[in-house]
Amino acid sequence: MSVIEVKDLCYTYGINTPFEKKAVIDLNLSVNEGEVIGLIGHTGSGKSTFVQMLNGLIKPTSGKVFLNGEDIWEKPKEIRKIRFKVGMVFQYPEYQLFDETVYKDISFGPMNKGLGEKEIDETVRKAAKFVGLSDELLNQSPFDLSGGEKRRAAIAGVIAMDPDVLVLDEPTAGLDPMGRNLLLSQIMQYHRERKNTIIIVSHSMEDIAKIADRVMVINSGKLEMLDTPAKVFSEAERLEKMGLEVPQITKIMLALKEKGYEVSDGILTVEQAFLEVVNLLKKEGKI
Amino acid sequence: MIRDITLGQYVPGNGIVHKADPRVKIILLIAFITLIFCAFNFVSLAVIAAAVMIIILLSDVSLKLYFKSLKVIIVIILITSILNIFYGTGTPIWQFGILKITMSGIYRAVFVSVRIVLLILISSCLTFTTSPTDLTDALERLMKPLKVFHIKVHEIAMMMTIALRFVPTLLEETDKIMSAQKARGADMESGGLIKKVKAMTPVLIPLFVSAFRRAYDLAMAMECRCYQGGDGRTRMKSLHIKKSDVFCIIFAVVILTGVVLCDIFIAPII
Amino acid sequence: MSFISASGVKYSYEDSDKNVLDGIALKVNKGEFVALLGHNGCGKSTMAKTLNALIMPKEGVIYVNGMDTSDEEVTYEIRREVGLVLQNPDNQLVASIIEEDVAFGPENLGVEPEEIRKRVDNALKTVDMYEYRTFAPHKLSGGQKQRVAIAGILAMQPDCIVFDEPTAMLDPNGREEVLRTIKTLKEKGITIVLITHYMDEAVLADRVIIMENGSILTQGEPEEVFSQVNLLKKHSLDVPQATELAYKLIGAGLRFSKMPLNTEECIEMLEGALS
Repeated sequence: MSVIEVKDLCYTYGINTPFEKKAVIDLNLSVNEGEVIGLIGHTGSGKSTFVQMLNGLIKPTSGKVFLNGEDIWEKPKEIRKIRFKVGMVFQYPEYQLFDETVYKDISFGPMNKGLGEKEIDETVRKAAKFVGLSDELLNQSPFDLSGGEKRRAAIAGVIAMDPDVLVLDEPTAGLDPMGRNLLLSQIMQYHRERKNTIIIVSHSMEDIAKIADRVMVINSGKLEMLDTPAKVFSEAERLEKMGLEVPQITKIMLALKEKGYEVSDGILTVEQAFLEVVNLLKKEGKI
Repeated sequence: MIRDITLGQYVPGNGIVHKADPRVKIILLIAFITLIFCAFNFVSLAVIAAAVMIIILLSDVSLKLYFKSLKVIIVIILITSILNIFYGTGTPIWQFGILKITMSGIYRAVFVSVRIVLLILISSCLTFTTSPTDLTDALERLMKPLKVFHIKVHEIAMMMTIALRFVPTLLEETDKIMSAQKARGADMESGGLIKKVKAMTPVLIPLFVSAFRRAYDLAMAMECRCYQGGDGRTRMKSLHIKKSDVFCIIFAVVILTGVVLCDIFIAPII
Repeated sequence: MSFISASGVKYSYEDSDKNVLDGIALKVNKGEFVALLGHNGCGKSTMAKTLNALIMPKEGVIYVNGMDTSDEEVTYEIRREVGLVLQNPDNQLVASIIEEDVAFGPENLGVEPEEIRKRVDNALKTVDMYEYRTFAPHKLSGGQKQRVAIAGILAMQPDCIVFDEPTAMLDPNGREEVLRTIKTLKEKGITIVLITHYMDEAVLADRVIIMENGSILTQGEPEEVFSQVNLLKKHSLDVPQATELAYKLIGAGLRFSKMPLNTEECIEMLEGALS
């Protein structure tokens, strides 16, 4: 069953002003329950506007967003309820931390949701565990944490609302390789346990390739591609034309294919590439 | 959206008023404000009004914008006019209890309204035709003599420059933080005033933290670029008094003398 | 003689007794392009700040063009010669008009107005932002802002520019723009120290230095450093994918005369192995 269904979604900024700009154009999409969707598109492609329409932060100019079959704008006064169901982690979320302790900060969402004290405690500790924050850290001020910890605390703040759909906008931006890998594996661990739907926006196709079931590409406000990572990334040239960065290994293997060697499309990891090259070498009798 | 608000109302253009030296413009504005308050009869006021109209027409800024700036203060004009109407002396034209309207009251109301309108128009003209940077720059240069009194003119100007630079950045940031907290279910729309103020805490605290972080970064970046205060500093753009500026000054002196003469020879209305 | 020469540099922040820099020795030659790698907290940003006298080492000395960075008499001369570009492009611009921001450095140095004008125009042309000279910073993209920040340093006519993770907050396009600019600067003979997490940036350097816990773990030409795949992985550092593939193939029994660092070299290597 589809959790999120998007029909003819449009958003235009500054209607009737000289700055009128179509950010999202006639977008249709259906996201299945428990699916991990990778969303790529260059800056200004409309992907941020799109994801903010999923939890009602931005009201579409036309078109509809259905959550579990219900139009989220059916009752505009109750749009706040949608935000607990579609959790949204913004880019550089650590800049939204504000409370005295990490614990209190994470409990901000659950509190707004109207949970009881006991439930809050439970959900806060669970969320903290998902992102690997120790109990000791929970009593510290969020401003005393390290950069990576702050990021994880902020993400825990959204996970604690226990959303059915979790949207993450560039969750690994600005982290070093170690922090990036750690965070990604925590998100995946959370996904495996909670089995909810995840939409992850990223510039890093390597990261997306590692975790996504399907990849959607947005360009100039339109849904340009929607398919499995291998299919999408096999069109490296098309992606590069849209100003997107294709992993080095993908480029190498595509070049090899163009030169007439038999290699599969959409190779994304060094591991895959290695196996392909070894096969080729065996065929040629080099090893 | 907050980021749609633009600070300063500078309208880029190439007219004579745009090109005038910002220092001259500031001095003229001060002169005009003084004049407007020194005009005590309709003839003086008419002379000033004519001068203001000429400047506005020369300013290469659409009249619509001037009307817009007047719209904002229409309430103030109405209130002061109503107060003034009932404040006159002499034979009442209309009376109700202690409220009475006299001819002098009506004159007074009209007079004060025209004064306010002229004030707004002439100051809008300055902000429309001068970029904020030029304004701070001119203020710094004009206030230089104040250094004698140990006023840190350069530092004040530097602070204004940085403030102008960071206002759009911080507005955008406010927008982002608000969205982020709304996404965590923060309710900022409903409830009374106290509830709304309270609901702003999750926005204000991150905003302050971020402002301090930016300030720290900026201080470091300024040190990297050899900033050591105002001493020994030169400026890329130096201001020179041009021919057109001299004309402006002569124009202003003529108006000034005109108004003073009118004030002397014509009986005051208030 | 080296342009920058540091020896036995130790530094610790006031609130901790852990040495962020723990006896670093570093030499950078004039015109050299050095990449400094290491994960967060390894001390590379602190190192950057010692190079233009923003902070003084607690032990050891650093000479920049023969000047001791702890000598307060020459602080500003050192800062003019060694420019520092920081991570966040938003927080480095002072003025609300691009050209006035670029003029900020030379104005502080007391350069004559006509000369400032020339330097500002040249700097903006070098970073390819001349058409934007009258724009306000908040109208620009991250990559453009970062290029303006570089122009602001260039206008002081430095001999060396230290980049502290200049691309960490940028999208791929912005990263590309900034990298292109850095390459241009290198061609102009400016000494470059680039601190980064991205391996594809590091491979452009003449020399790669890897830091860990406040000291230098290993250094050498990119080919030399990146061929130590195991060592890098052990310290949770990335290796360029091209190099990693070659490394795996060596493990499978192949021999290459040279480790590939970028796409082209890797394709060439694979073709060689297959034909």
